[in-house]
Amino acid sequence: MDRFRSLLATLLLLAALPSNPEDLGPKAKSAVRPPPTAKDWADLAKLPDWSGVWNPKISDQFAQMKTNPPPWTPKALAQIARMDAEERAGRPPPIFVNCLPEGMPSWMLVTHNAMEILFTPGRVTMLGESDGNRLRRIYTDGRSHPDSPDPTYHGHSIGHWEGQTLVIDTVGVVPQAYLAVSEAVGLPNNGDLHVVERIHLEGPDVLHDDLEITAPRLLTRPWKTTRIFFRQRARKFDIVEGVCLEGSFRQAVDADGNSVYAPIRYDVGGNRLPPE
Amino acid sequence: MKPLGTRIICLVAALAGGLAVPAAAHHSAAMFDKDKVLKVAGKVKEVQWTNPHVAIYVEEAAGSGAAPLVWLCELTSPGNLARLGWSKSSIKAGDKVTIEFNPLRNGKRGGWLKKVTLADSGQTYTNDIFAQENPNLK
Repeated sequence: MDRFRSLLATLLLLAALPSNPEDLGPKAKSAVRPPPTAKDWADLAKLPDWSGVWNPKISDQFAQMKTNPPPWTPKALAQIARMDAEERAGRPPPIFVNCLPEGMPSWMLVTHNAMEILFTPGRVTMLGESDGNRLRRIYTDGRSHPDSPDPTYHGHSIGHWEGQTLVIDTVGVVPQAYLAVSEAVGLPNNGDLHVVERIHLEGPDVLHDDLEITAPRLLTRPWKTTRIFFRQRARKFDIVEGVCLEGSFRQAVDADGNSVYAPIRYDVGGNRLPPE
Repeated sequence: MKPLGTRIICLVAALAGGLAVPAAAHHSAAMFDKDKVLKVAGKVKEVQWTNPHVAIYVEEAAGSGAAPLVWLCELTSPGNLARLGWSKSSIKAGDKVTIEFNPLRNGKRGGWLKKVTLADSGQTYTNDIFAQENPNLK
């Protein structure tokens, strides 16, 4: 009887599968993540080599502020113009000084810090330096986005490989996450953000992230931009732990001789205050 | 009697290089006057080798009997400085140095470090994040 029930359950499950299950594969339809097989691990060797540490081409980030600005809506453009003016006047708007994650897509757009990219079966993981919370999980196991993902700073990302290019689709980003063109100029996406990225090697040690950013509350049309990263292989440049809030403290010894972090004074813009 | 000094603290936050560029991690450098470079000689009081910005405090001798002046310079992040040839022990408390920096626009004794030179060895270190924009740095 138990065997009959088991067979029936299997038949019902098969009937529920899509007519072209090869599109997603049985693993993608499973509610659980099956353990990776030896072949899954071996298949990773077919992917391009993205090992090492990748640091951004910051000068190109700045250049694109003029050569390739986002197609801001008139309302957004007015705010951006005010921020630009404040920046030029030496009063940079403090948009990233609270140590919350820069989130998507700003991490990719304006970071000054390095990242590394890890491949495991069904997953690509991006880890950023200098902010303890820079982490992107990109699911490449064929799953879809959840119907209603819990919003997060980096959103819900699914990816697939088109040849040597990783194509990533990201939704579910918190509306408070900035679409920034620098550390002082940008606006919250305000909802419905959608980012499609095509990441690929442009040269032996140069990685390009071609982004298409759809932000209907900010932009009149999708914005395309490319961000460039350089590979470092020297072990002395390995990613270091970077906790953003660490900069709000100094190492000190308390009255009991304990090693502690003592708060330091800093201004609204995040700069340590010089002694009077 | 200690020599007097001016305290020099160089609080460095972003990078300079001619652009009003944001600093390493989370703030802009526009509060620093990129059109000016101040040069101060003194003794390193403290180095805060921390993310998102490293800070170097330098004491500048003031006049006789006066307390040294402390200057605070901010720099980019430890990871970026490593690719510019720094380590956490490149500049240490007690080192005699000359710092060159874009000063704070508000006149406080702080700025964005451009270059630091060790008096004893002549060794220099810069804070130019654009200088690391190549693959396979040594």
